[in-house]
Amino acid sequence: MTRLLLDGVSVEYPIFGAHALSLKSTLTAAATGGRIGREAGVTVVHALRDISLELREGDRLGIMGHNGAGKSTLLRVIAGVYPPTRGRIERTGSVSSLIDPMLGIEMDATGYENIRLRGLIAGMRLAAISAITPQIAEFSGLGDYLSIPVRTYSTGMLMRLAFSIATVVHTDILIMDEWMSVGDAEFQAQAEERLRQVIDNTGILVLSSHQADLIERECNRGIELSHGAVVQDRPLGPIEPTIRLVSAG
Amino acid sequence: MSIANRQLNSAWSDWWAGTRNAELWWTLAWYDVVLRYRRSMLGPLWLTLSTGALLVGMGPLYATLFKVPVGTFFPHLTLGIIFWTFFTATINDGCAVFINGAQYLKQPGFSPSALVWRSLARNCLQLAHTIVLYLPVAIWAGIPLSPRMLLFLPGFAIVIINLHALTLTLGIICARFRDVAQIVASMLQLLMFLTPVFWFPSSLPGRSHAILYNPLAQLLDVVRLPLLGDLPAPGTIRFLMAFTALNVAIAAAVYRLNRRHLVYWV
Repeated sequence: MTRLLLDGVSVEYPIFGAHALSLKSTLTAAATGGRIGREAGVTVVHALRDISLELREGDRLGIMGHNGAGKSTLLRVIAGVYPPTRGRIERTGSVSSLIDPMLGIEMDATGYENIRLRGLIAGMRLAAISAITPQIAEFSGLGDYLSIPVRTYSTGMLMRLAFSIATVVHTDILIMDEWMSVGDAEFQAQAEERLRQVIDNTGILVLSSHQADLIERECNRGIELSHGAVVQDRPLGPIEPTIRLVSAG
Repeated sequence: MSIANRQLNSAWSDWWAGTRNAELWWTLAWYDVVLRYRRSMLGPLWLTLSTGALLVGMGPLYATLFKVPVGTFFPHLTLGIIFWTFFTATINDGCAVFINGAQYLKQPGFSPSALVWRSLARNCLQLAHTIVLYLPVAIWAGIPLSPRMLLFLPGFAIVIINLHALTLTLGIICARFRDVAQIVASMLQLLMFLTPVFWFPSSLPGRSHAILYNPLAQLLDVVRLPLLGDLPAPGTIRFLMAFTALNVAIAAAVYRLNRRHLVYWV
């Protein structure tokens, strides 16, 4: 049973200025009682304040908010990357994020090698990666290009590859920062359908976006963040993923 | 498949999750090496050739300078340079291990220890390129095969344990204090002169033997002497047992206290 619980989660993290990043300056400041190199240069950012949420199988949570409201931090807390400074998080089920599809793409490696690297970074075993490689290769439509280094690819081809790899995951909790879309028109419909499938197969979706209509369309619950706190939390209309899939296909 | 939830795990199981995923760190290390060579014609041979050139240049010269027979000096120097390069490269890489791996740490379920192993594995692959140079040198110098050479294996295991602990500690400290990497690099340079990389410990006058009690000199002994067919001194083993315990304890403490902050620092 997929479940996600955040109980009073707060995140505060320090941003170190040039001085605080230096051991010499920090020691000098400490040894001289702050007379030399007084500028401490540590800014504490309150990225999230007291967030409580409970999500169950089938929930689609949309996160809205201005830049710097804490959306990405919240996504990373849910992904288990940022440990909360206060409060606790409980999670049952695997989690994957489609936050950064270009992560781990090595320009000098071939397409196939990148499939392997990305798969490993996403937590898959080599055997499982080999099993799905033909599927990724076919979906990407890159054919023989997969055997040459990706630095020779066009931007569109690179995005195709990254998208094909990123969306192959099967996960209980899926985290997305904005709707993933791929530039070139021909691939777009295909990509949209693939993304639809991934989302429909996932237990819980957490999607952050600037677009209210996207959240309205995809999610059954929407929260709005401002300065790291939830200022609005409301249920949205029910969604019928299977019907949508048919109409989209 | 289930991905470990980093913040719920203890420091130990977090470390173990990265360690046991050998497929991950080995493949990353492998590509680190392979991709670097892909566009160069000589490829991996380059490292072997440049180290070989250094050895051939230095061996006879220093043997003359120190007035020692080149037959005993050359194997000593070869292993000294090969392992010293391995130590310093690994430690310097260790300082940047989390800063350079920042992207990976922001991936769900990616344990920091996998990055440490990746760095170690990459440096071991590079060591494999240079250690082959010892073979012709040993044959030329007529060093006989001896069962003592098997002691290289436990010696190397001690080296790996210590380098792992050092990488973990320094990686975390350098993520917080960015200038520590330069401090470490200059200290290593100084240590090179205090370590019998180029010279024989036996040429030290009596009282100055104390400088041999630097950890890197002892670690060098424990891998170099077996390959020369000698035994490390009992003092070396005692020293290294204590040093390894201390080193691992420090790494464990630094990791346990800071692993939750690490991802915010990088």
